[in-house]
Amino acid sequence: MKTSNYLGWLGMSFLAISAVSVQAADIRVGFGLDALTLDPGNHRSRETETIVRNMYDGLLTRDAKMKVVPELVSSWKQIDPTNYEFKLKQGVKFHSGDEMTAEDVKFTFDRIIKKDMIDGKSSPRAGLLGPLKDVTAVDKYTVRFTLASPWAILPSMLPFQELVSKSFVQKVGDKAMATQVNGTGPFKLVDWRRGDSITMERFAGYYGGSAEIPPVGQAKADRVIFKIIPENASRIAALLAGDVDIATELPVHMMKQIESSKNAVVMKVRGTRSFFVSLNNTKPPFNNPLVRQAANHALDKKLLIARIMQNTATPINGVLSPDAFGFDASLKTYDYNPALAKQLLAQAGFPNGIDVTLDVEGSFAETAQAIGSLLTKAGIRTKVVVGEGTVLRTKWLQDKNKTGDMWFTSWGNGSLDPEDIFAPTLKTNDRGNSAGYSSGVVDGMLSAASTETNAAKRADLFVKAQKQVNADAPWIFLWVPEDVYGVSKRLKGWQPSADSRVNLHRAYIQ
Amino acid sequence: MNLGKLLERVFQLIPVMLGVSAIVFLMMLVTPGDPVDIMLGEQQATTEQRDALRKDMGLDLPAAQRFVHFLKNAAVGNFGYSYFHRRPVSEVILERLPATVELTVAALLIALLVAIPLGVLAAVKKNTWMDRLATLGSLLGISMPGFWFGLLLMLVFGVWMQWLPISGRSDIASQVPIVTHFLTLDALLALNFEVFVSAVSHLVLPALTLGLPMAAVLTRVTRTSMLEVLRQDYVTFAHAKGLTTRRVLFVHALRNALIPTVTMAALEVGSLLGGSMIVETIFGWPGLGRVVVESIFTRNYPLIQAAILLYALTYVMVNFFADLLYTVLNPRVRL
Repeated sequence: MKTSNYLGWLGMSFLAISAVSVQAADIRVGFGLDALTLDPGNHRSRETETIVRNMYDGLLTRDAKMKVVPELVSSWKQIDPTNYEFKLKQGVKFHSGDEMTAEDVKFTFDRIIKKDMIDGKSSPRAGLLGPLKDVTAVDKYTVRFTLASPWAILPSMLPFQELVSKSFVQKVGDKAMATQVNGTGPFKLVDWRRGDSITMERFAGYYGGSAEIPPVGQAKADRVIFKIIPENASRIAALLAGDVDIATELPVHMMKQIESSKNAVVMKVRGTRSFFVSLNNTKPPFNNPLVRQAANHALDKKLLIARIMQNTATPINGVLSPDAFGFDASLKTYDYNPALAKQLLAQAGFPNGIDVTLDVEGSFAETAQAIGSLLTKAGIRTKVVVGEGTVLRTKWLQDKNKTGDMWFTSWGNGSLDPEDIFAPTLKTNDRGNSAGYSSGVVDGMLSAASTETNAAKRADLFVKAQKQVNADAPWIFLWVPEDVYGVSKRLKGWQPSADSRVNLHRAYIQ
Repeated sequence: MNLGKLLERVFQLIPVMLGVSAIVFLMMLVTPGDPVDIMLGEQQATTEQRDALRKDMGLDLPAAQRFVHFLKNAAVGNFGYSYFHRRPVSEVILERLPATVELTVAALLIALLVAIPLGVLAAVKKNTWMDRLATLGSLLGISMPGFWFGLLLMLVFGVWMQWLPISGRSDIASQVPIVTHFLTLDALLALNFEVFVSAVSHLVLPALTLGLPMAAVLTRVTRTSMLEVLRQDYVTFAHAKGLTTRRVLFVHALRNALIPTVTMAALEVGSLLGGSMIVETIFGWPGLGRVVVESIFTRNYPLIQAAILLYALTYVMVNFFADLLYTVLNPRVRL
């Protein structure tokens, strides 16, 4: 065979194979990280949860507006500050065909909250259930959750947990749960090639999903494939080539490329992560509130959001996202005013300005450089120091004596409840309080809010705490970015959700 | 080579492995960052939960004790537990290793198949346009950063022409049972031509990205070495004896000229192993390199230690085989 013929033949075979391998009813997702395990009780990884959630349902879930709604339960109520009762839907089947009962719910949660329950080790998800002490099966379809102390956010935290089958786990063992799936979700596991792809197919016995999120019924797609493509550019290339239908975590600078393509669009949704520059409140110069206020006035957030974030972020004046419970929209805005910033610095005793450093992780260096140059213009002469995330977290969160000046950082708030962002980042000595901020008033209000069961009173406590923090300005308040996705035009019935899940129950290819 | 010499070489491995283990351990010890902190992230965990995790990971013990513990266990093939994956380290490594080996072997084959003929051609046709083209090509290959070259190939053959898939090992891998963990072999064993072509087409771009820069280096080495050999008296004598040019080139000259190429190829296996980390990330290739990179970021000490030990062992073994190959290429070489 002549060389040219041979090459032609080779090319034709590849084309033929590519054509065969693309089936219209399959949805392919280009995803950055692989699942660590398929056992919903034995990981602490957001990516794992996103993948697993398509095969396992939970007692509760969230709708497109992030409202907590029933999924496997028909209703729930709070009996007293430490007791909740859930009524399960009847006739819900696991992939194995067994019916889900209260015993499965009890088993699922015992496995997470009790010690050494998963192959002799404790579940890394226990922390997500706070003071949950006991789960009891009242009857076949009723379960009661008992807390050791009042914890208002239990319903907001339950969408993070998925239900396993007691008999299945007991039959196959904990180890096998890492690779075998028997959930109540819309898709069944077909094959998991670690690091490469996870393939799922429609579960014909699916009960239909949450009644609050129509349409209810079986999954529309025949198969769903999560393809693991860690590199951003490769994920986008795969989308443009038609290899995947959804590319997650699209970098904003690549949006134009997608927008100008014929076969894909950009979809955005406001995420749940608040960004801020933590100012070291424990030592000069940022132990002076005037200097902290000056820093807030020194930044032109609108400009930064427009130029660097390509308008994919919402500015904030406090810790909470506008979507969070108890968000106060009336907080004072620190307007961009470099002259005022200089004046505040002079008032604080720094008429000639100050010299400080700004720590940042490599991936955000560009943003930090822009922030640094704006601060410098206002007299806060900033040197940007790029470091590795792990090292910076140790420096700012573990070390007793805080040595840095400023840290460009963020904190996630998947539950959209202040409890898991406000308290950890701003309560005195709490685990995420990088600024070393300490306010008796705020501490008191946050403690009261964490046990307050009346929603209106609780929201009020958070509003007051936000006003105090806004006035004290322990950080330079920045923004909540949007999650950006590249989505094939042929994919219908799917939209991104703020909790960054990719639930494909209702999606289909047209 | 006699058995005594062989055993001597095997015993030489022991200090090398010990040295590598100690260096890796020390480097991890001085690198800041707390694995417990990374694992728990922003989530709530009590001090007891943190301490329990630290104890489970064996991080509560003094460094020296941890090192001895690691050596003792490694000696019997136990590399510990990857808390990040919540599985034994050896399981994670063995699962990912075949993909990396498949990719590295493919890249090595591409490098040798391109470099040797091109190097010989450039030497024989010295100072002609063919020689200049080969030199220019190899210069380009050496200068281009791997990740950029990979993205370029992806753009041209994946996005524009859509001839080759962009990421993964195969879309239809699930159609063949896992026997050897090498997908191309498994597909052949199952006589599934469709999966085989899919596997090969997925392999082409990453293997080219990894293999062509190496081919560039080897082309230059082969050319230089071939030029030198062609000037030797015995080659002139062979020509004078009336042997055909082909016979002189491939039987007499090339065998000797290949010794530096083999040495270089063996040394370059180190770059292949290192480069595979980048190429695997770009092409979503589910190999060991990617897991190692992830492990470095998550301070997954047991996995890093085991993987680097494996890399070191591979490197030493490949160079050992290169030494053996010298004796085949030139029987006068004695080890």
